[in-house]
Amino acid sequence: MSVAATPAALRVADLTVWQGSHTLVRRVHFSIPAGGVLTLLGESGSGKSLLAQAIMGNLPGTLRSSGSIEIAGQLSDAADSGARRRGWGRSIALLPQEPWLALDPTMPVIQQVAETYELVSHAGVDDGRDSLRTARAAARERAAAALDSLGLQAAAAKYPFMISGGMAQRVAFLATHAAGAPLMIIDEPTKGLDADRRDEVLALLLAARAQGMSLLCITHDVWLARALGGQLAVMRDGEMVEQGPAAEVLATPRYAYTQRLLAADPACWPAAPTVPVAPVTGPVIAELRQVSKSFGKHRLFSTVDMRIHAGEIIAVTGPSGAGKTSLGNIALGLLKPDVGTVVRAPGLARTAFQKIYQDPAAAFVPTVSLRCSLQDLMRLHALDWAMLESLLVRMRIAPVLLDRLPRQVSGGELQRIALARVLWMKPALIFADEPTSRLDPLTQQDVMTLLVEQARALGTAVLLVTHDADIVRCVADRQIRLE
Amino acid sequence: MSILSSSSLPEMQAGPRRWSSAQRTGAVLLGAIAVMALLGPWLFAVDPARQQLDLFLQPPSLAEPLGYDPLGRSMLARLLYGSRLSLSLALLSVLSAAVPGTLAGILAPWCGGWTERVMAALADAVLALPGLLLVLLLAAFAPGGFWPLYIGLALALWVEYFRVVRAACHILLASPQVEASRLLGFGALYIVRRHLLPALLPRLLTLMRFGLAGSVLAMSALGFVGVGLQPPTPELGVMMIELLPYYREAPWLVGAPVLVLLSTLLGLQLLAPAQEVT
Repeated sequence: MSVAATPAALRVADLTVWQGSHTLVRRVHFSIPAGGVLTLLGESGSGKSLLAQAIMGNLPGTLRSSGSIEIAGQLSDAADSGARRRGWGRSIALLPQEPWLALDPTMPVIQQVAETYELVSHAGVDDGRDSLRTARAAARERAAAALDSLGLQAAAAKYPFMISGGMAQRVAFLATHAAGAPLMIIDEPTKGLDADRRDEVLALLLAARAQGMSLLCITHDVWLARALGGQLAVMRDGEMVEQGPAAEVLATPRYAYTQRLLAADPACWPAAPTVPVAPVTGPVIAELRQVSKSFGKHRLFSTVDMRIHAGEIIAVTGPSGAGKTSLGNIALGLLKPDVGTVVRAPGLARTAFQKIYQDPAAAFVPTVSLRCSLQDLMRLHALDWAMLESLLVRMRIAPVLLDRLPRQVSGGELQRIALARVLWMKPALIFADEPTSRLDPLTQQDVMTLLVEQARALGTAVLLVTHDADIVRCVADRQIRLE
Repeated sequence: MSILSSSSLPEMQAGPRRWSSAQRTGAVLLGAIAVMALLGPWLFAVDPARQQLDLFLQPPSLAEPLGYDPLGRSMLARLLYGSRLSLSLALLSVLSAAVPGTLAGILAPWCGGWTERVMAALADAVLALPGLLLVLLLAAFAPGGFWPLYIGLALALWVEYFRVVRAACHILLASPQVEASRLLGFGALYIVRRHLLPALLPRLLTLMRFGLAGSVLAMSALGFVGVGLQPPTPELGVMMIELLPYYREAPWLVGAPVLVLLSTLLGLQLLAPAQEVT
């Protein structure tokens, strides 16, 4: 083993995380050179986030860890989290998933960034050069300059709920980065973001790298792994199955699992096998005539005409904030348009229009088991339980899962249960609102394939909101683009 | 801002919720108090109003476990009768505030528009009056008796249930879980039973716990200003005020009603679910 002139930014050796007798992360080794990038790729539940928490030293109380972690030459035992906690913000920082949730909603943006300058990186106060008051003023100045550098000067005085997801991510980045930690762990930076925002995140990460920061990026987004370059490691069931230069691993994956993971990226999906160029002949089940909608002064869309025929799959695309979800909700009758009319085909049941949500866990009663929720539905409509069971078999859901609470089931499984629940109602139209944007590639392909397959089999129309052009290309009959 | 996101590990324990040891302790405590208040006056059949002035302030003995009060009345008998009266009145006034308050709190955001505005204005109007004043007003219309007392307490206390429930329901009614249930064809009752009540219950329990202590003290305060329960009636709050001057000679006398109220509140506190949000 050669001794490098500059110590590695992060060296992890033999890291194991377990809960009771259950091993969650098994003997992981890797190192990131100063200024390097390591992308951890893997599906949800593969132990990626646990690995990050073990490195930070904030594992949940019931978990234990062993092994050694070296940050910029400072060696510590994995179990000794206190040693690394002292370096939070200064030698190691973490940008959490969905950072807009990590920002304080009651504090203006600039103050949140200044806070880190003032409280975490208070070099001047430490050696007695500055009083606290001047440190505070200096922190504000530096925060303003930092916001300027990322083009956020207009957002400085705003509160986090007033800015977009991409801007919130940049603010969170500044706040975590302000104390000058040379190593940053980034957890799922593109989760729940649309394509334009993904580009912003990538630019941010590349800029950070250009400044000499070392990054450990945890993601299930193959696109990001490819664009970020550097080293790539693939995790599965708590083990690191493959590691190497990103370009190499992505071009010639050695393990079957990596190959499957890469093939599940929507960019690699086969185009719709039966390209239905034939004109849609089914009867019209819903029609929107000259529909307009605005929230306050913000105009979402105006004079939209849309006809939904039985059995067709329509993709609704557009940048975030364009009103994709509102359009679907109007079609479903959940929202009233400001102008225009929505006509439902006569003779359809009240429950003929159903919806699938971006976050499946939010669409179930959280306090009772899935079985209980589904039995309530069966009693209400006198449905056939056997039909649900056969749907669940087709969704590859084990019946024992139904005895759990919604939050005890993984996102992909729950989304498939939600799909089965909706199909059980024999709907004429399913409005699928970004049904796979929070799922990892393998699960995404799974859910999307099942949705399309079942909708085609039952002759159900699908209104699919998505930001992924590849998915549109692969599954949709036609596309409506909102600007 | 917080630097670290909270972890979300799936909890492996499924199935019916287990009772923690704290919850079991709470249940036992409340059970004991309920038995004492309900069966006590019947088991220990001594008239709480009978005065034996020669026995005043006599310390506890085997026959009289709590001794005699300054007027030579059996302290245990007074405590048992007082617990029954105070706790049942407090429970009654808390429930009669919580039930309409919760219903109104669900109804207002459900209907929205003018209905909600009128109800919110009404609640604010009640909030602007001190609760005690409202009770005094009612007591002035119908002097004596418990009814104006507890209707007054309910009228003063329903507002906090209304406001808390309304705020929570605004969020819940707009949530995807309720929207999904509506699309699946479920009616209002189902949404209240499955979605709203389970989410509201922890908050309601907290409010009711505070309300219970508050109404025992409010009743004694009313007794003190001459409305409602008067000194000969054994009532916990009145007893506390009555016996406080004797804490030096006979600390067990004032200690007993305080202990009953304290253990009731402790029992309720322990019984509450662990992940309670206020």
